[in-house]
Amino acid sequence: MADPMEEIRASFFIECEELLEAMQDGLQMLEDGAADGETINVVFRAVHSIKGGAGAFGLDALVAFAHTFETALDGVRSGRIDVDGDRLKLFFRCGDLLADHVRATRDGETLETAAHEQVVEALEALGGDLEEEEIGDFQPMAMSLDLPGLGSDGDLPDLGSLGGLPDLDFGMDFGEGGATASGAWLIRFAPKDELYSTGNEPLYLLRALADLGEVEVTADTDRVPDLDALDPAAACISWTILLTADTDEATIREVFDFVDGLCELSIKTAADDAQSNADALGEADLPLLDLPVAEVEPEHDAPAAPTPEPEPVAVPESVAVPVAVALAPPSTATRPALTAAPSAASDRKPTAPHATVRVDLERIDRLVNLVGELVINQAMLSQSVREAGVPQTSPASSRLDEFLQLTRDIQECVMMIRAQPVKSLFQRMGRIVREAAAAVGKDVRLHTDGEATEIDKTVVELLAEPLMHMIRNAVDHGLEKTEARIAAGKSPEGLVTLSAGHRSGRVVIEIGDDGAGINRARVLKKAIEKKLIPADAQLTESEIDNLLFMPGFSTAAEVTSISGRGVGMDVVRTAIVSLGGRISITSREGAGTTFSISLPLTLAVLDGMVVRVEEETLVIPLAAIVETLTLNSTDVRTLGPETQVVRVRDAFLPLLDLGTELGYRTPRGDYSGAIVLLITQEDNSRTALVVDAIEDQRQVVIKGLHDSYGHVPGVAAATILGDGQIALILDPIDLIANASGRSRISTRAELALAG
Amino acid sequence: MALRDQLRIMVVDDMSTSRGLITQALDSMGIRNVVTAADGPSALKTLEKSPVHLVISDFNMPGMNGLQLLHALRSGAKTARVGFLLITGRADREIIDTGRKLGMNNFVKKPFEAAGLRSAIEAIVGRL
Repeated sequence: MADPMEEIRASFFIECEELLEAMQDGLQMLEDGAADGETINVVFRAVHSIKGGAGAFGLDALVAFAHTFETALDGVRSGRIDVDGDRLKLFFRCGDLLADHVRATRDGETLETAAHEQVVEALEALGGDLEEEEIGDFQPMAMSLDLPGLGSDGDLPDLGSLGGLPDLDFGMDFGEGGATASGAWLIRFAPKDELYSTGNEPLYLLRALADLGEVEVTADTDRVPDLDALDPAAACISWTILLTADTDEATIREVFDFVDGLCELSIKTAADDAQSNADALGEADLPLLDLPVAEVEPEHDAPAAPTPEPEPVAVPESVAVPVAVALAPPSTATRPALTAAPSAASDRKPTAPHATVRVDLERIDRLVNLVGELVINQAMLSQSVREAGVPQTSPASSRLDEFLQLTRDIQECVMMIRAQPVKSLFQRMGRIVREAAAAVGKDVRLHTDGEATEIDKTVVELLAEPLMHMIRNAVDHGLEKTEARIAAGKSPEGLVTLSAGHRSGRVVIEIGDDGAGINRARVLKKAIEKKLIPADAQLTESEIDNLLFMPGFSTAAEVTSISGRGVGMDVVRTAIVSLGGRISITSREGAGTTFSISLPLTLAVLDGMVVRVEEETLVIPLAAIVETLTLNSTDVRTLGPETQVVRVRDAFLPLLDLGTELGYRTPRGDYSGAIVLLITQEDNSRTALVVDAIEDQRQVVIKGLHDSYGHVPGVAAATILGDGQIALILDPIDLIANASGRSRISTRAELALAG
Repeated sequence: MALRDQLRIMVVDDMSTSRGLITQALDSMGIRNVVTAADGPSALKTLEKSPVHLVISDFNMPGMNGLQLLHALRSGAKTARVGFLLITGRADREIIDTGRKLGMNNFVKKPFEAAGLRSAIEAIVGRL
């Protein structure tokens, strides 16, 4: 088993993340003016707790920094320090640095200290260093009849009764407990070697006891020798079980029927046991503490309440005793695995805790996959029932409808397990805004909205990078310089808004600024300069805005330290599209620009168009298709032996026969009458994809092929359709990229042959 | 049977790390009969049903701090006589004086070593 301290240390860093989030929340509420009296306490407590934990692990640098921060916060809490905008900014900065500190400590990295020193100085100037008063005169109060200082105190009337209590007996009469059948039983169970050699498993016995009532199991591992000396066939562990159940001794003995003679067994009521222990203990050993009954309270049916955390079942270091390992996996022994974590979701109250369970992501994915199977199975069943001609009004049909509804509900619930609020993502953006604003010397405030909106975990993770880039852009390019804002009659403080919400089955994330808006004349000029569009192009406003997404486009007149890193909006767009998303811009001159990202709720299902090519059924993601049309003879032009283009309104688009690309057939000579899908790529270029028929438009469950086949060019995944048929989900962008690649190679090959 | 085998302790701390650390320290002293609670109210609820000899509580907790918990314990008929050990990051006079008035048996300042916790416990219940 891992070192228990190591485990606690690991859980400390996880807890730190929760505390840092609570701290961020609190600071944000202070900034938004949404704070109440408790908010500053929450912030203080978060920092204090981080300091406390760090102290326990001897992380002195972290303690020192947290202490300085805590002192300043304490000043605010006690009213010594007023919070104004500048100080709040300092606190935000401290919060960021504290997060850095925590993560660097966790990962064993060293931290840049220059920034820290500056902040520490500012903090110290603010909060000073509270000299702690040493308390030397506290007299520990031993537990005895006469508790000094109590009872005589007039202003604590409700404690007055304390002095009158006779003894430290918790008001219990254990004699009564022994008389009743219901209550607590103390079972000592020590297997002999024979118990194991005859194939018995103590775990099953312990479980059988647990079936009788509540059990508290303690393993006695004192007899477990060092690994070297361990005899694997020997029984070294015994158990003490405190059973709380309304049962009798005979029933308990029944559990051990099969191992009769193979173990030492003693069954007593806990009250009897405690009595005999207390007797055996004698007074000499226990001068101050009279312990008649430790675990029983007979007045109640259920004493020894279940504890919120796993009982400290001692686990031997050795793994050679399989039963002990099976009984107590490492996590139950020392680590408080299931704890109430600070709220990460919906409400804005950072104090509200709600219970969470940490679950291995793999398990969830397995569940998601199984539910996917269920959805497919359900669709197949529906189809069979329809084909069998069962009337709509029959009970079978209506049951099937209920089944359909249930399946959808289950699917939704399971997707929700993978869903995460965007809050943590938004909090990270807060820091990006602060740092970007400081770097370009602008005064910027971030306003976030809809943080509780949930989206697939993977999407949240993959969204961080593009979002960060857009936020930097908004601060750097979107917002005007302070002087320009003042001249325009705006507040000197720029506003960047980040919002999330659900819209028609998708999640929409918007990044907006209240800057000057897109300078379309400049964008147009730049695009022409860079030969991205012809000089005489007539573009609508929205078309001009969309030029920002073209590869190689960058409008920043001056390259600043934060953007101009060679990453343009085209990269952002590629990232969004790869998540099944879409991005669009709206901009108003003088009022600002908003980027709107629309994302699917999950990566497990997909809106697809089911098409047919040469008897093969294929699925094409709907997001990639802009238009479908039927060609007539004048639409297709031939440019070469194997190259054809399609005229769509005023543009010529390359024509690609899906059947040929997938190797199902040789190119047709004449494509008039063919059905084409117009596929759009990141750079807005379009391609016409020929299919034989469009069958359906529906949601399909994505079945990854990557694990079995690796990357197959042009194929994204597979799905199972309602009739049980397997269909490939194509990646049209990849398909098109590969197609053009092949044609180039073949051209070169032809040239080589000709040469 | 030594005292440590009989002693039943409740650890109250909002931070699971701290609960783990204290439980671990108690374990190293041979005290295995330990229950934990993440906040004052749930501690009180558990203690109603299942008493302990000693409560080891953090001071700084949301909702109900350690001394408020102590007050509630001393006010409850079933819990009034329980031993109370406060763990606090800041041992300032106000906290300690209030603790004294409320009947705090002892306190430990953070960060603490297992040995310090042990002697603080022993000062209350006697040799473990």
